[in-house]
Amino acid sequence: MATDAGRFHELFERWARRVRTRMIVRQALTWTALGLLVGSLAALALWKTHQGALRPWMGAVGLVGLAAGAIIGARRRWTDMDVALYLDGRLDTDEVITTAVQMRNEAEADDEARAVVVRQAADALEKADPKKVRPPIFVGDHLLIPIAVAAIVLVARMPMPVRPLPAAPPGSDKVQLAQVEGLEKMAALGALSTPDEAQRERLKQLAERAKNLREKLRDGMERREALSEIAKLKDDVAAERLSLGDAERREGLEAAQGQLAKEPSLKDAAKALGDRDLTRFDEEMQKLANSQEKADRERAKKALEEAADAAKKNGAPDVARALEEEKKLLEERSKRNDALKDLAEGFGKDAPEDLKKDLEEMAEGGTDKDSRKLAKDLGDALEKLTPEERKRLGEKLREKAEKGGMAPMDKERLKDLAKKLATPEGQKQLEEELRKMANEDTESEESKKQGALEEGEKGLGEAEKQLGGGACPMPMPIPGGQQPGGPPGGDKGEKNGPPGSGKSPPGKADGDPGGPGSHHDTGKGDHKGGQTPEIDSKGFRSRASGKINSGAPMPGAVSGRTTGKPGDTAKLRGTGALGEVGPSEIGGVERSDIPEEYREQVGRYFSP
Amino acid sequence: MAEPSSFEARLTQAAEISTRLKKAIGTVLVGQAVVVDQVLWGIIAGGHVLLEGAPGLGKTLLVRTLASCLDLQFSRIQFTPDLMPSDVIGTNMLAMEQAGGARSFTLHKGPIFGQVILADEINRATPKTQSALLEAMQEHAVTIAGKRHVLDEPFFVLATENPIEMEGTYPLPEAQLDRFLLKVMVPNPTEDELTEILQRTTGHEMKPPEKVLAREEVLELRSLCRDVAVAEPVMRFAARFVGASEPGRKESPELIRKALRYGAGVRGAQSLILCAKAVAMLEGRAHVSFSDVQNVAMPALRHRLIRSFEGEADGITTDQVVAELVKTVPTRPEAVEAAVKKG
Repeated sequence: MATDAGRFHELFERWARRVRTRMIVRQALTWTALGLLVGSLAALALWKTHQGALRPWMGAVGLVGLAAGAIIGARRRWTDMDVALYLDGRLDTDEVITTAVQMRNEAEADDEARAVVVRQAADALEKADPKKVRPPIFVGDHLLIPIAVAAIVLVARMPMPVRPLPAAPPGSDKVQLAQVEGLEKMAALGALSTPDEAQRERLKQLAERAKNLREKLRDGMERREALSEIAKLKDDVAAERLSLGDAERREGLEAAQGQLAKEPSLKDAAKALGDRDLTRFDEEMQKLANSQEKADRERAKKALEEAADAAKKNGAPDVARALEEEKKLLEERSKRNDALKDLAEGFGKDAPEDLKKDLEEMAEGGTDKDSRKLAKDLGDALEKLTPEERKRLGEKLREKAEKGGMAPMDKERLKDLAKKLATPEGQKQLEEELRKMANEDTESEESKKQGALEEGEKGLGEAEKQLGGGACPMPMPIPGGQQPGGPPGGDKGEKNGPPGSGKSPPGKADGDPGGPGSHHDTGKGDHKGGQTPEIDSKGFRSRASGKINSGAPMPGAVSGRTTGKPGDTAKLRGTGALGEVGPSEIGGVERSDIPEEYREQVGRYFSP
Repeated sequence: MAEPSSFEARLTQAAEISTRLKKAIGTVLVGQAVVVDQVLWGIIAGGHVLLEGAPGLGKTLLVRTLASCLDLQFSRIQFTPDLMPSDVIGTNMLAMEQAGGARSFTLHKGPIFGQVILADEINRATPKTQSALLEAMQEHAVTIAGKRHVLDEPFFVLATENPIEMEGTYPLPEAQLDRFLLKVMVPNPTEDELTEILQRTTGHEMKPPEKVLAREEVLELRSLCRDVAVAEPVMRFAARFVGASEPGRKESPELIRKALRYGAGVRGAQSLILCAKAVAMLEGRAHVSFSDVQNVAMPALRHRLIRSFEGEADGITTDQVVAELVKTVPTRPEAVEAAVKKG
């Protein structure tokens, strides 16, 4: 009996310890799950109330739950009877352990029934399978722990919600946009690298302004203000695009342009430089690099060199730098294109169709894009060559080199190619080089910058559109006058008023009075009161080589801002009115594409 | 019966006796195993049993067979409306001595002076006569002409009643019903059982079963039953179970609050534990489990619950109420129960 009682006591105590510990751990985990759940909800509430910084700390609520669970678990520790009931429940022992625990405490009841019960209980505990009986630490509720942790992490990393707009005061037109794709393009300008430190700084500022605008739009702002800021940004981007050879460097730009214009093959490039369109300028140079005539290329190089010198001398170092870069690129491109063509021609009639087509495109004045494609197709074609074909190709190149009639440098190049093709390793190396060429970015820095600015400008246009602005307002009907651009009225202009103002009231008109600009003033009136004051300037304020609306009539009404190319209009901000006039701009109206019937009017407008 | 050497041996022997007794009864009575078990619980727990069932289901046969198997004095009282209390307990009769012609009262003992009493169709007698049983059932003694006569032990009453033919009957008062430890419902036999009944009862008369249990053995079983241990949580469960049958308690199930007027009371709780002990003992256990209490709840409590008007109107039976209690009253504390289920 004593032995059974001792055995039961020992076994039961061991089990009780195990069960209680596991129950405390389980309780602690349950409270942790609860804490984390509360934490995740709190994080969500913080997110909703825009108190983002506090969100990650909500994970600490889980730790509070853990501590609370451990304390509560320890305080609500199961009694022996609870443990016994649990064990009976798990072991299906018909409450023998419970009865034995009770009888263990009743020493005076040392009866026969007690001995039987204690022994049966001890046997039951001894035979108990720990895996079956011990309470599991993890229960279904604990699945909340990873879920809640994930929720907290997710909420902590979630971008803050858009603040709801306060009720707009009457008359205001607030707009709120969570995402403005167009402004992202502007924000990308900050990462642009340019050799000019000041310009880099300006681009960064532009990007910052775009980002600020984006944030403000996310929080909501007046549509009018947003459109105004976009318009300002557009102006600044346009100014930046045209900053090359601007202001006091204009003379240098003009000098360089003059130098380039002397070389017939660079006429288009000179025009592009004059327009400050460096992307087009680069394209022209790419075409030139592909030119069949080597002499043309040499002359072009020289012209570029001279133009760069002229720019430098006339105080336009940025123009000179761009021209020097183009010259360097011209050399590299020429060399590369020659090598590619030599190799492609070496295939002769056996050349794959793609290669033939590439060569044709190159012959038609291909750009870098075409030469990259040729490099890629050459690499592919080389890969497919059998050893015999490779050998034959090498031989052909060697023969071509030995034929004579070519520059030593070209000879060397051909020999080098033939040498490479002589061995499989060389061929492999050549393939690699071609592939590298195919992926090489040969665009000039200035051209890239220009491209990025154009993209930024486009982005601003998109943003403007998204905000519901940007559309050119329809011309307003003018009371008593014709629609802008309508047929001229019969006014003879015999009234007082400034010439060309078109605002003279209808006199003996035999037709309907026209609107502003619809009258042709013959200048026969009394001009004393409408004398245009003389402009205090050294020369022309702008160059009238406007390509705008070529062939189309001038717009009847102009509103908003334009990108301000020279000759667009001198009344708006741009390089025209604010920049210096270059020597080549004198007589620009006559050389321009302005329709004949408007030339006189435009010329008068720009005359000092 | 040989004196068992230890408690465990006594338990084993008790289980064997029970098996033997059931087997002997089975030679006469077909089926009704549950009824036999429940009657046995009543005998071992030392209580009286009320058997209810339609006529011809073997109620009387069961009691007569049981009495035949037990080496005890058997009496049968057929309750009729004109049955008088003195017909049950006995009376003093004036007797004349032949020699001297002197007259004196001599006690003429009624059928209650037996050990196994069959009170057949108890609800046919008047309440007055029914009440004559009260003292005998509760005190195991009767008082005749102011003199108390203790009845021989073991003493138990096995009463039968018929739920149909209610005209001219006197339903047992609550106080009377409460004296019965168990109320056993006798069900209709199954087809197989009925076939066997027909085989046995339509041929030659069968021999009565042999006696398998002596008076001392019955007393020993009763003593052993009292020795079976009950843990405090099991007692508490029984108390909680009976408490939940009180319609006035908030924690009572909705059905109980609606269908009952009075709950089981103290005697109900006592009968639960006593019968559970008997069940445990007959299964060879020295301790009572929750399931023992749940198993005996139906016969132990069904006659102690008094339905409310609403319950009666809705046709809710006390059996339904007890089943609801078994379903809803928790055995273990909530936290432990949850852990047992989760584990």
